[in-house]
Amino acid sequence: MPAACSRPVRSLRLPVCCLIALCALVSNSPAIAQDKNLLDLEKFELKFGFIKLTDCAPIVIAKEKGFFEEEGLQVEVIAQPNWKTLLDNVISGELDGAHMLSGQPIAATIGFGTKAHVITAYTMDLNGNGITVSNTIWERMQENDPDLLASQPQHPISADSLKPVVEELLDEGEKLQMGMVFPVSTHNYELRYWLAASGIHPGMYTKSDIGGRTDADVELSVTPPPMMPATLEAGNIQGYCVGEPWNQQAVAKGIGVPVTTNYDVWKNNPEKVFGVTKQWADENPQTHLAVIKALIMAGQWLDETDDNGKLVNREEAARILSRSDYVGADFDVIRNSMTGFFYFQQTDKREMPDFNVFFKHDCTYPWYSDGVWFLTQMRRWGQITEPKPDAWYHETAKKVYQPEIYLEAARMLVDEGLLDEDKVPWDTDGYKQPTDEFIDGITYDGKKPLEYLKAHQIGNKD
Amino acid sequence: MAYLELDNVDFGFGPVSHRYEVFERASLAVEQNEFVAVIGFSGSGKSTLVSLLAGLLKPDRGQVHINGKVVAAPGPDKGVVFQNYSLLPWLSVYGNIELAVKQVFPSMKRGERRDYIQHYIDMVSLRGSEWKLPGELSGGMRQRLSLARTLSMKPEVLLLDEPLSALDALTRSQLQDEIIRIWEEDRRTVLMITNDVDEAVIMADRIVPLTMGPAAHLGREFPVTLPRPRDRATLNFNPEFKELRNEVTRYMMNLNEEAKSLTRSVTLPLPDLQPVLPGPRVRVG
Amino acid sequence: MLGLWIILILACLVGAAAWAGKHRTVKAIDVAGLNFLTPIVRLCYGEEPEKQLKDIGRFIVVPVIAILLFLGAWHVVSEKIQTKSGKLPNPRDTLHAAKAINDFHYRENDKQAAFNLNGEERAQELERVEQRLEELKPLEAEVNKNVAAAKEAAKERLATKVAPLQEELDTLTAKFKDAKKQRDDELASLASQAAVGDEDAKNAFVGKVRAYRQLASDERDRLRDLRTEINDMRAEKDPEEQRALAEQTAIAEERQYLGKMQDQLTDSNRYEKVDEENAKLQEARETLYAADSATILKAATKVAQTEDRIDRIEESGYAKPATLPYQVKRSVLCVFVGFLIGSAIAIPLGVLCGLSKTFMAAMTPFIAIFKPVSPIVWLPIALIVASAFIPDPDKHWFTQWLWELPLLGEYKINPAFIASAVTVALCSLWATMVNTAFGVAAVDKDHINVARVLRLGFWSRLFKIVLPSALPLAFAGLRISLGVGWMVLIAAELLSSSEGIGKYIWDQFNNGASDSFANMVFVVFVVGIIGLVLDRMMIVFQRLVSFDGAPTAI
Repeated sequence: MPAACSRPVRSLRLPVCCLIALCALVSNSPAIAQDKNLLDLEKFELKFGFIKLTDCAPIVIAKEKGFFEEEGLQVEVIAQPNWKTLLDNVISGELDGAHMLSGQPIAATIGFGTKAHVITAYTMDLNGNGITVSNTIWERMQENDPDLLASQPQHPISADSLKPVVEELLDEGEKLQMGMVFPVSTHNYELRYWLAASGIHPGMYTKSDIGGRTDADVELSVTPPPMMPATLEAGNIQGYCVGEPWNQQAVAKGIGVPVTTNYDVWKNNPEKVFGVTKQWADENPQTHLAVIKALIMAGQWLDETDDNGKLVNREEAARILSRSDYVGADFDVIRNSMTGFFYFQQTDKREMPDFNVFFKHDCTYPWYSDGVWFLTQMRRWGQITEPKPDAWYHETAKKVYQPEIYLEAARMLVDEGLLDEDKVPWDTDGYKQPTDEFIDGITYDGKKPLEYLKAHQIGNKD
Repeated sequence: MAYLELDNVDFGFGPVSHRYEVFERASLAVEQNEFVAVIGFSGSGKSTLVSLLAGLLKPDRGQVHINGKVVAAPGPDKGVVFQNYSLLPWLSVYGNIELAVKQVFPSMKRGERRDYIQHYIDMVSLRGSEWKLPGELSGGMRQRLSLARTLSMKPEVLLLDEPLSALDALTRSQLQDEIIRIWEEDRRTVLMITNDVDEAVIMADRIVPLTMGPAAHLGREFPVTLPRPRDRATLNFNPEFKELRNEVTRYMMNLNEEAKSLTRSVTLPLPDLQPVLPGPRVRVG
Repeated sequence: MLGLWIILILACLVGAAAWAGKHRTVKAIDVAGLNFLTPIVRLCYGEEPEKQLKDIGRFIVVPVIAILLFLGAWHVVSEKIQTKSGKLPNPRDTLHAAKAINDFHYRENDKQAAFNLNGEERAQELERVEQRLEELKPLEAEVNKNVAAAKEAAKERLATKVAPLQEELDTLTAKFKDAKKQRDDELASLASQAAVGDEDAKNAFVGKVRAYRQLASDERDRLRDLRTEINDMRAEKDPEEQRALAEQTAIAEERQYLGKMQDQLTDSNRYEKVDEENAKLQEARETLYAADSATILKAATKVAQTEDRIDRIEESGYAKPATLPYQVKRSVLCVFVGFLIGSAIAIPLGVLCGLSKTFMAAMTPFIAIFKPVSPIVWLPIALIVASAFIPDPDKHWFTQWLWELPLLGEYKINPAFIASAVTVALCSLWATMVNTAFGVAAVDKDHINVARVLRLGFWSRLFKIVLPSALPLAFAGLRISLGVGWMVLIAAELLSSSEGIGKYIWDQFNNGASDSFANMVFVVFVVGIIGLVLDRMMIVFQRLVSFDGAPTAI
């Protein structure tokens, strides 16, 4: 068990507990008291929902590796058919919490789609998505840019070579159809960002057009993640943006080619969050803390490395995720991205150590600046129909993102000796440093959302 | 005044435009304790007659009286044995009788009721088949059960609607004897419908032919004065029996001739049946 | 295994025949709708052996041969059908899938049991688990080696297969590139001539350009075809490699299971946790007894908290994921709940329709409009309504009450379940309603006359004459309803993601793993067999209430 080696407390506990188990009958000696500060839980049997994607890993790992149990929680982890049902189930109370798209708590809170106050105190991962196009589109892109014919083309691949294809289709009176997973998903915004960065208009949302196709050069439609390969194969869409393993699945089945990952669109972009309703969090504050503690532990476990920087637990995580009641895809397929590799084509395997980030880069901290970025995208593409002042962006982000809970949970873990003091950004104001690591090089400063909106060519600028 | 009386009754089916008059001024009187056989061709309204007497149908004009009272609705005092038994196929022999007994004698105690029902089952020689369903019984057994059910209601009047017509000849004569035997016990008023002259002569005190429809009425009466018990074996050589039988048959044949001339003008399609009658074959309609 | 079952069934049959007598056994078989067994019973009594053997041949041997032929054909066909999602699973793969599903079920049961084990049993179980873990280590190393070797071999095989094509591709690419360059040069030189020439020359030049464009396009197509061929070759899964991977998966899954078992038997074990808490309680008590007025409140709270926690742990259970047997049971429960709701609506309405022509006239438009509505339409509506009535299942009194019920509690009836059941009810009630109405309306006139002669009141007439007489038709309707309900349920569960067979299928489809296809095919049989059992059950009921001896089954 490689997991145990690097965690002193746990590595001791296992044999000790075995010993106790054997001695339990002989002597009535009390178990060795732990430092674990068990919370006064309001509720200890929980149900969490997830979508079959590798980035549900923190929840699954927290269950399978016993982090939830250590907090005194018994958690059932239930696959949901699509993001809409997942959100509805959380709001209705059928689920206590879920693996959510970053945009979902924000959109629910501002009332785009189902209205409910949903909050998050834990970001589950960074990156992890890819944009895949069908073989035919890939060939046409190759025709437009012969450099792509190389067995390992130069990355990042922008949508420039896709633009002529889109234009040709438009001339024929057709629009390229692409899939994304949910109107407020990271995927929607990333795909739009990628297309718009090359001057392809992905369409605007308006009051009357909630499909987001007004003025579109490329039509985007919603397809649940696990359905993406099948929908692509059926020819309903010619490309999609989705999380893993559904890009690797396309490669494994030979039905499409991932052209880029969201790492190239925006380096270390926030991806999923762990969302609960405000009401639930208010009613079960201690339980919420316990859950966040377990998730932080799971995140830390997932990103554990040996001295050479190799991710030591990912292989096991991939094995767990490949169980049919979790993600269920083939182990080999899940392993690619989870262990830091990504197949762009059968012949194009690349190392991508940061393809999935679950803990490092202060990933799990719920940054206000992430919330603001999603809000700017919602405004950019018209999901927020009215222009808003800067202050509104900050207020809204603060309504949804709850770093106080995260920090409280982290503090407990530090006190229990399970987490290093320096792994948590204690003193941050919740805004990441401005960054220009986008595919189009535009700088994003979470404190100045309106300035950021103005910097783009396509989309609302106020 | 007779015990059971059909007084100038009119009865018809169908809408005014093509109404079919079954009876016109039909009258019949049956004395108490009398066994009357009504004999008629198929389609002459025999079953309708039973229904009228039982109160299942209401006459258009005229009245039916029992014991001086007008019959307004059917009831257990007018026991009917239906032509096709009308047994409830989901109830056993016992259950069929029990249904009637429970309804007619609600105050009867459990044990008493069991004995009572068993008595009637024994009476029609169905002992041993108490728990069989009607579907498992032969035709004769079913008719006996139907009879037992009706008798168990202790009706004032017993109306038998061609009770034996669906049975084979052997079973038929056996059951004829049985009905007579049971009837002899308390001699209730009986009106039996039949299409068999022999049967009528053997069983009844009086035979009343029903004229051919439409607008049938009851014809000339033939009293049967043969002494009881009538023994089937010797009866065939009895001249009185032979005479009566021939007379009734002849009368019936004449009725048929008459009916032919009558029905010519009527367009109502009658069933293409050829009743098997003693003597030469006659085409109907 | 199968042979054992056959022998067992035959033994039961012979035993029953010997005990109950021939006629009763034959009748029981007839009622159960298992007429193919009759010749065996008759043969046991030596009745017309030749005829019985012939019947056995026709009703048992022929179907068995048909099944074998089907399996054979399936095996052959499955080898030929290759989609991008994988090969159509053959019977063996399907059986293998069944085994894997079964394993998963038992492993989860083990984990649950381990959570609740204590004392000697726990020590023994732990020993077993650890022993097996030890055994597994060399095996794991071996399969890992095998996989590596198989992958290497597959890669080599692929390389040798692809190499000539790749070479051809490379040469062609180079050749075409040269050719294109040559053509471009030619056109460039021709261009200067055409520029000074007349219109004809210019038109001829256009022709030349067009011809060369065509050539370029042809060349591109040729290259694309080659590339596609190579890609297809690469996408093809190597069977050896697949086999090695499957073996590796089996071992890895077992190891995963054993690891979790170990945890369930030690750290996560309920008694272990209680012991742990008890120790803490002890400590807390000591603190409490030693406390002064300043600290006593805190110490007392701590004691109370710990005690509460112990209570909770004692009644807690392992959160077991849904396994197929559980999902099957839940589906069957759901179909029956829906069926009962449907029947509770359909039978009274059907009786009223049958009794009163006026009521029938009032109902006809509704029947006509709602009957053809698809379950897909009902489900979202039912889901919204059910969720509206039960906004928070964790707190709502109705779900709470359901979860406390002794046998139903474990199925966690939630709005999705209710919505699925209601959908089943809405789709299945029509057959029952129409049949009941027909049965009631078609009560024999003579039976009504009997009722009139007996002067039965409305209720006794209804219950003693009308309903019994309508029963066979009503049951025929119920049988159709249950069949329809079962079909509808799978779709409803699939959409509402109510835990059940439908959801299982959907999850498998979504998984898209190499064994998902086989799992789905296996579930097809599960669904079919349950449908068959439900239908047979209804046949038995139908036979029991049918008095007319009408044939009810095929």
